[in-house]
Amino acid sequence: MTDLAIATEKLTRRFGALTAVDNIDLRVTAGQFFGFLGPNGAGKSTTIKMLTGLLAPTSGRMQLLGLDFSTQSVEVKRQIGVVPEGMGLFERLTGAEYLNFVGRMYGLDHGTTLQRTRELLEFMQLADRPKSMIADYSHGMKKKLALAAAVIHGPRILFLDEPFEGVDALAAGALKALLARMTARGVTIFLTSHVLEIVERLCSHVGIIHQGRLVAQGSIGELRAGIAGEEGSKTTLEQIFLSIVGRSGAERAEIEELSWLT
Amino acid sequence: MADLAQPVGILRQLILIAGLRWRMLHNHLRRKQNRLDLIGLIVVGAVAGVFLIGVCFALYAGAYDFVSTGRISWLSLLFWIIFLWWQLLPVMVAGFGASFDFRAVLRFPLRFAAFYIIGLVYGLADFTGVAAVCWIIAIIFGVAAASPALLPGLLLMAALFITFNVALERLLGSWMERLLAGRRTRELFFAGFILLMVSLQLLGPMLNRYGNSAEPWLVRALPYFSYFPASLVGKGVGAAAAGNYGAFALAAAGMACYSALFGVLLWIRFAAQYRGEELSETPEPTKIASKTAPAETGTDGLSLLSPQVAAVIRKEVRYLLRNGFAAMLLLLPPALVFTLISQSSLVHFMGSKGISPELFFPGLMAYIVLILMTPAYNSFAYENAGVQTYFTAPLRFRDVFLGKNFVQVSLIVTELTLCIVAFCYRVGTPSAPIFLATLAAIVFTVVGQLSIANWSSLSFPRKLEFGQIQGQRQSRMAVLIAFAAQIFLFAISSVVLGLGRWTGDRWLPAKAFTLLAAAAMGGYFASLDALTAYAERKKEKLIEALCR
Repeated sequence: MTDLAIATEKLTRRFGALTAVDNIDLRVTAGQFFGFLGPNGAGKSTTIKMLTGLLAPTSGRMQLLGLDFSTQSVEVKRQIGVVPEGMGLFERLTGAEYLNFVGRMYGLDHGTTLQRTRELLEFMQLADRPKSMIADYSHGMKKKLALAAAVIHGPRILFLDEPFEGVDALAAGALKALLARMTARGVTIFLTSHVLEIVERLCSHVGIIHQGRLVAQGSIGELRAGIAGEEGSKTTLEQIFLSIVGRSGAERAEIEELSWLT
Repeated sequence: MADLAQPVGILRQLILIAGLRWRMLHNHLRRKQNRLDLIGLIVVGAVAGVFLIGVCFALYAGAYDFVSTGRISWLSLLFWIIFLWWQLLPVMVAGFGASFDFRAVLRFPLRFAAFYIIGLVYGLADFTGVAAVCWIIAIIFGVAAASPALLPGLLLMAALFITFNVALERLLGSWMERLLAGRRTRELFFAGFILLMVSLQLLGPMLNRYGNSAEPWLVRALPYFSYFPASLVGKGVGAAAAGNYGAFALAAAGMACYSALFGVLLWIRFAAQYRGEELSETPEPTKIASKTAPAETGTDGLSLLSPQVAAVIRKEVRYLLRNGFAAMLLLLPPALVFTLISQSSLVHFMGSKGISPELFFPGLMAYIVLILMTPAYNSFAYENAGVQTYFTAPLRFRDVFLGKNFVQVSLIVTELTLCIVAFCYRVGTPSAPIFLATLAAIVFTVVGQLSIANWSSLSFPRKLEFGQIQGQRQSRMAVLIAFAAQIFLFAISSVVLGLGRWTGDRWLPAKAFTLLAAAAMGGYFASLDALTAYAERKKEKLIEALCR
């Protein structure tokens, strides 16, 4: 599994009787821009938490960059960057202080941390409020700062949980350009998003999780070919997604019964 | 629409909201982690219950005595006590109660009258209100036992008094909420509040010095207090007892005016909330100070430590300096010690009773350690979502504890040094055996507690917000553990001191505490690796509790 950036074997997570993630075998090659999709409660966040060391799996194995997470977790963490759900910011620090803190936590030397902090704050257009605490940032500014913190140590895999949520169009454009540049340099990006248009535009490969099970995995082209047959080239990711995890005919009929809404 | 929602009556809405609160508590306790809180809740509830019932008996006895001895107007004194309790306590101890934002019901189709009544009812539903009403009932029983004829007048005045207090308490609470909505205002307010609490300690020395000259002013001001609601109650009942129904009517009218006035003010305040008042933390755009972030020099003397430990220390110091409430709490113990030892009466008292610094010194130091160690039992309280960084970064959790404990110990050392210097200067230097024994005992109790506190921080984390006391509550289990650990360690210390006295060996406590301190240090460093593994096992609970 050494050429793979992310590889899981029968990765499972149970919460009591509920199986949130059920025996998934993920394969993400190094340098891929991988979109991880699924309806609400499908197990996306649970998976990303396990892959980033925030949650222990109930069973199964995880290898990141050929390193076994269970035995080499510190080495794995050194190689990955994370924008977790809720962003994981220390809100009573300023943006610069936070990036300095994170840089030092990842073992960067002082000079490098300072230089990267300055560059990242400039790039993310956060440098003009040096004395503002993160608590006073807007949601979009926090997202940008969380992303800056995730890349400050130059990770080889970047995990992003809904990175564009609440980010304005201008900033989103800059972030997308940054992410594209990172994948061009061989960084693997693992992204979850509910906005399928973004995933379709950015990602080369997609995994779809539904009710804890990985129901589809491959390049968008492969998924189109597999699902849509002859009309594959015209099929959007949204149509593919709905055809895989969409409601059954009986469920749709039930929804149509909500006549009191009209 | 094929169907329309039916209007819901006020009583039904009250029942629904009471049910909602019960479900919230029930669901909270369904979690295994929170179930342990129930033990703390029961202990706190039992203590509060004993206090409430005790005061009930005291007020019953007071009311009975005043009425049966003909001092009916003295009932005012009892109502003043209840008034001060009702209005001041919610501000002072709001931190111990969970808040329920009843404005959340505004999203539902609620008439303003219903919203107003719900707001008033919830003013009666907290511990302060329940206790106050119980005590008023106890006074009524006391008066009824002594003179049943006074009952109708008292019932009217008591009802007006309750209405007035509920309206005033809700009004003050509502205005406080508006005032404290902004983070900076809130932190400034609490800094001022703590300063006020500290300065109250100076009341004793001031009364000693100026008490006699202030007395005539106080006596002259006393008649004006009779126009306040608590005094009006006693005055009205007294007038009724004397058959002076005109004066009774006047007092009742005064109380009614107070109730109406604050009821109307509360109506105006709630109307603003009902319209959808914006209480936002987001500050107004400020003038940009400069175009670039200030460069850090990094020459803060922490370069000898590992980068991770140094980063945690810098972050902890910044957090402390920005948390006005926590910082002021840290200033409180030395301020109290300075106040205490600066009182000449105390030094004089110690001299006259033959109390030497030998006894006083360890006690004061123990007090400071007691206060300063409490936050260590929930040391991740202010991390919130940031705690995830500790688990995604390539570090061992022992580094986080080392950084946090380093800051904690530095603070304690600084404060203790200041207090020791002040004590030696003002009261006198304790003998070498006691001095060294106390220092070794401090090391033993502080380091001994750190290991337990680190475990407690991982096991019973509770998220707290900066500069906010409303709705802030530590895990009750963490409070009990802190209490038990402190009692245990101080009990060991007392036994050691007792042994020294019993054997007549003045150096025995110093030797014993040095050994205990060395053992505690060894235990602490040994515990760090175990706690690192424990943190890995507890990370889900920790993240869940702090990111919620």
